[in-house]
Amino acid sequence: MTTTMTRATYAATYAMTLCAAFLHFAPNASASDGRLAIRVGRIITNNGPDIENGTIYIEGGRIQSVGTDAGRWDAEVIDHPELVAFPGWVEAHSIRGMDRPNENIEVAPFLDVRDSIDPINFYFEDCLRQGVLAINVQQGSFCAIGGQGRVVKPFGLTIEDMTLRPSSGIKVVATRPGRSRALQVQALRRAFRDLRDHLEKLVVDKKDGKDSARREELFQGRDPDKEENKKGRPMEGDAPWKVKNFETVPRGEVDEKQSPLLRLVEGKMMAFVACDGAVSVVQALEIARENGFLANTVLVVEGDAWKAADRIAEAGVPVVLAPQLLYTERDPMTGKEIETFVPGVFREKKVRFALQSLNPSAQSLWFQAATCVGYGIPRDEAIAAATKVPADILRLGERLGTIEKGKDGNILLLSGDPLAVTTSVEYVVLDGNLVYDRSKDVRVQQVLEGLEQPNAAPAGADEASDVDPHGGSTKEGDTKSKTDKKKD
Amino acid sequence: MILSNALLLAAVTAASGGQDAQQRPWNIHVEHIYTGNGRNLTKGLVVVSGGRIAAITAGADEQSDRPEDTLRAYAITPGLIDAGVRITSWESVEQSREVTPEMRVADALDPFSLDWDRQVKSGVTTVLASPVDRNVIGGLSVVVKTAGPESIAERTVKADAVLRGSMGSDPSAGNHAAFGRPTDFYSRRPTTRMGVEWEWRNAFFNTALGLNEKDPGRATLVAALQGKMPVFIQAWTTQDIRTAVFLREEVESRPEFAGAGMNTPRFVIDAAAEAWKEPQLLARSHTPVILPPFPADGRTRDGAQMAWNVAKVMKDNGIPFALSSHGSDDVDQRLAIQAGYAMSGGITFDDALAAVTSTPAKLLGVDGRVGTLEVGKDADLVLWSGEPFQPGARVLATIVDGVLRYEGWSAVQGAAVER
Repeated sequence: MTTTMTRATYAATYAMTLCAAFLHFAPNASASDGRLAIRVGRIITNNGPDIENGTIYIEGGRIQSVGTDAGRWDAEVIDHPELVAFPGWVEAHSIRGMDRPNENIEVAPFLDVRDSIDPINFYFEDCLRQGVLAINVQQGSFCAIGGQGRVVKPFGLTIEDMTLRPSSGIKVVATRPGRSRALQVQALRRAFRDLRDHLEKLVVDKKDGKDSARREELFQGRDPDKEENKKGRPMEGDAPWKVKNFETVPRGEVDEKQSPLLRLVEGKMMAFVACDGAVSVVQALEIARENGFLANTVLVVEGDAWKAADRIAEAGVPVVLAPQLLYTERDPMTGKEIETFVPGVFREKKVRFALQSLNPSAQSLWFQAATCVGYGIPRDEAIAAATKVPADILRLGERLGTIEKGKDGNILLLSGDPLAVTTSVEYVVLDGNLVYDRSKDVRVQQVLEGLEQPNAAPAGADEASDVDPHGGSTKEGDTKSKTDKKKD
Repeated sequence: MILSNALLLAAVTAASGGQDAQQRPWNIHVEHIYTGNGRNLTKGLVVVSGGRIAAITAGADEQSDRPEDTLRAYAITPGLIDAGVRITSWESVEQSREVTPEMRVADALDPFSLDWDRQVKSGVTTVLASPVDRNVIGGLSVVVKTAGPESIAERTVKADAVLRGSMGSDPSAGNHAAFGRPTDFYSRRPTTRMGVEWEWRNAFFNTALGLNEKDPGRATLVAALQGKMPVFIQAWTTQDIRTAVFLREEVESRPEFAGAGMNTPRFVIDAAAEAWKEPQLLARSHTPVILPPFPADGRTRDGAQMAWNVAKVMKDNGIPFALSSHGSDDVDQRLAIQAGYAMSGGITFDDALAAVTSTPAKLLGVDGRVGTLEVGKDADLVLWSGEPFQPGARVLATIVDGVLRYEGWSAVQGAAVER
């Protein structure tokens, strides 16, 4: 027993020490058998009424009880009657955290952000600071069909440590910035046509006794004798087109460049479809229907896409909203500006919506949820749009979004109300481990009090005067290099 | 929670905005009256009549015999004042010379610009409009209401209120010396910070020594050096703040200025992002500051670093400070949320409120009319759906000079305030 205790305490101390130095250099924090009891003044369970002066008991990385039970006697205790416990925020869609968000291949479902996510990217550190504990990292929109995304935690030294859900979905882009709509829609249709052609050719080749697909399979490194590769199955899913006799083709013989798209069509992979306006919503839904992936589609909407809210409601797909919640347009007659509060429109049409951060460093998901409250969305719904709803959309509703028994041991300890501008994240417990302590966060001290780390380059030394306040994706690399400089 | 007490307007059919808007009496019932002078009332009534505040009472009966004149909200504050607003275009400064103190920005303002509406929507009722900082001494700023008749003259609260200029890199940005390439518009000086300061000193010394008798800007410079007109100087970095303060101390101590009776200028540092680095300097010289918007990562223009506790440092050192949105209407950059950020940096709500109402009013010399809720003052009012300056509260209505200029409860599609 003593050994266990020592080990747990040591792990926590070690994690905290490293936290102070650099949050991400801490050891693998998941898979802990540590026992932790968190006593706070208020628990916002996000699943029923708040609990005053309650205890959350976490063991084996999972919440074991919420209420008054303090759990086992040998559990480590975090006792903060002045703090508020809150489940972590969930980012439904983000193109941050990668070395760069875009690949210059138009149709590339075989790519995986796994190979691009940078665990020590400053973004993840900021997520922890802002209490965002799950992030769906997706490729950017400069493509027709992008790579597979991944839901990660903002903590861990390797992608595997960070991963909550691999292959969380493929990026599909209905309108690519700077390209004509017609060309983009054509590229999307062609991608699915190419898939179909490929599959049909496999069937014909099999019938003709050609073994090129099998040789390609070996070349691409799949094992033809593996059970899942050996068997053929008829095409599944809702697609109105089906490849006849597809069951004659062993699944392992499907080219790796096409198989993620086949999974999409068969309903086994989600699609995050970027729509920059109402027109692209209609086109996106059409393409999703034509290829049978409507049921596993999430629309990532911006611009005036809310004008197609009726279509979206009818299709029954959820949406992830662009960070700018207030849409402004000019009345063509009066010249006056008309403002539309986008979440309000979707709420009225009963479309499930999740929020995205405006700016990961300050106006994070709490700010977005608070803004929703300001515009009249009930508080529990506003909070849900950045916790429960994105967790559900990402198929992680069983693990994230609320503080209740059986869920991941992820707890934020806040200095006050989660939606108040004066509130800060004091501690973060992730999978039952204390991974963030604000009092030891040197970067908070730097931003809040101007304290500089030794040997830090003076602010703006690299001409940061025109840094995009919204952290434009293209600047991700710049930001990182700046912060890295400060680390050294 | 924040909204639980926010109530919807009972019945307002008055036309808002445009020329039809009428001054009319209002009875405004709120849960909280934040007056801006430290005396806050719970459950109160503010009565507006003739474009001015007629009465402020606590615990008033909410029954009204004139429902059409009744407004309800969670909280009321004075209309916000932005002394650092960037509401002017590049056409607002004459670039043929570096020192143009006689130029009046009022002549360059467009009363039809949508920027005014955006300010009204965010609860700002009075702004200091200044020339852009392309010149060293750009000209005369004007204090105007953000709504009213479509004429800047009729909206003016104080004409020629402030002499505006800049330190740092802005006035020299883009300039280059004439040699080595074909002469163009940017072949002008100064090209350095020291050149910028030289222009200031040159203008001041010429004025004190009477060397610019024929200069149309002389009268303005005299008024500035005599302290009759405040001088607003943009200075983001410590380096530039020092330059401004030292310049003033030079004017105060040199016999040339004392002899001419021109040794009492009043300086205000605008965009003082790095004011937190040397608060003693500002306290010693009694120099108020206007703070730029809080940047998420602490970095602002001119390579300056702005700590989020800068307002608290100012407060602790007794330095008057105002907050500014710099004219941004981005949802995360408005003036009201700047007050919220200042609170998260450690100051109280009342101090944050003062920094966007009464303090800028005093700095601009218009505190007799605006900046606090007091009987007899202009009826410039903001009605809030929740606690002001929280992102979870929004502007429900903005009243300027007694006229309802923005109705947030009906103006935004998709928004609802009823619970």
